[in-house]
Amino acid sequence: MNAFQRILTPENLQFMLKGAGYSVLVAVFALAGGSILGLLSAMAKMGRHKIPKLIANVYVEVIRGTPMMLQILLFYLGGPVVTKALFHYVYTPNPILVGTIAVGINSGAYTTELFRSAIQSVDKGQWEAAQTIGLSRKQTLREIILPQAFKRILPPYINEFIVLLKDSSLLASIGAVELLHSADVLGAKFYNYLVPLLFATCMYLIMTLTISYFARKLERRLAASD
Amino acid sequence: MIKAVHLCKSFGDIKAVDDVNLHITKGEVVCIIGPSGSGKSTLIRCLHGLEIPDSGELYVNGKPIDFSGDTTKDLAHIGFVFQLFNLFPHKTVLENLTLGPVKAGGVPVKQAEQTALALLERVGLADKAGAYPSQLSGGQKQRVAIARALCQSPEVILFDEPTSALDPEMIGEVLNVMKELADEGMTLAVVTHEMGFARVVADRVIFVDGGKIIEEGTPEQIFDHPQSDRLKLFLSQVIHM
Repeated sequence: MNAFQRILTPENLQFMLKGAGYSVLVAVFALAGGSILGLLSAMAKMGRHKIPKLIANVYVEVIRGTPMMLQILLFYLGGPVVTKALFHYVYTPNPILVGTIAVGINSGAYTTELFRSAIQSVDKGQWEAAQTIGLSRKQTLREIILPQAFKRILPPYINEFIVLLKDSSLLASIGAVELLHSADVLGAKFYNYLVPLLFATCMYLIMTLTISYFARKLERRLAASD
Repeated sequence: MIKAVHLCKSFGDIKAVDDVNLHITKGEVVCIIGPSGSGKSTLIRCLHGLEIPDSGELYVNGKPIDFSGDTTKDLAHIGFVFQLFNLFPHKTVLENLTLGPVKAGGVPVKQAEQTALALLERVGLADKAGAYPSQLSGGQKQRVAIARALCQSPEVILFDEPTSALDPEMIGEVLNVMKELADEGMTLAVVTHEMGFARVVADRVIFVDGGKIIEEGTPEQIFDHPQSDRLKLFLSQVIHM
């Protein structure tokens, strides 16, 4: 019996598919959370208020200037230490949850720059026209600027999703059973890492290539209304 | 209606608007002419808070405008038409018109649409209500922009070189709409290079150079009996026979 048949049993395939599902989940929630953070900090960076601007700048620089792996470990291993010192409270963190939060905070720093550049690329005349018809800053952003920025943001934004999907594999280091870690578990179990890792490779590729395919289709459809 | 007192605005070392006093009264059509870089665009943009003056006061219907605060409410009934139209490309013509009244003015959608359709009719574009700006010609875009300004039920409309970005054959259709507005008694302030329009439509022509008002008067005074050398030189350069 060859190694493929031995390892890739329906049961084990299901185990790895579940891992892939968690990878997608981590990427989706991290992107969603990161986008909210990114939008807020982009606003802060472009705004007139000094303190939010400073906070946003520090956030972006710290996150972009340090490895994501380090951030994940800090949140996972450092969290309980902090709560113990402050509240005498020790907990066992859930690796998927804490990992998603860490990846989301990381993604927020990158999407900050995405949002900022897309918003700033909208013609200044659009702000002026909105001002002359009486729209507030918030209304202008919602009705005029963001819809136009969205089109420009779409390609890099989907790229960010693909990056997150791949980076979710870093959560393997804190024991979250996502796709890479599930391959690792099977490898250890069967004393054969090659087969599960190759299977994980295929899974990652299927996911990322499918996303890029639909992204291109969507982009073409949006471009049609120009 | 709009009164500017000692208005100043500089960009670095350049005084774009240099101590300008300007009073536009109800029903008046004022044309502002002058060479490129004379500050006439900056002047008209200051009147709608698109440029914040460095000093001086602006009064709308006697009420002083506080530029340190939110000016949108105070300036809500001043329309503005841009050289480059600045229509919202992702919205239909009708949505471009109704957005202000609905979002800022709290007018019900149905009512805003009725008003907008009537105004599109007035600028001859009733059939373009569902079109997107990218499907329109330059002249049509500018007429939509004028209709959009009219949706604010403006007491005065400011124009910043409304025909400068248009192909020559489209200038007439835009000027005609503006002339109709003037004939109906709308207050207009127009920065323009169209001397023919200024001569026929304006009640008062203001010649600006170096950020200052050099000369002002009726079209006859300005075009037929210019006093200052600078205005004479300017006219000799722009009016070709």
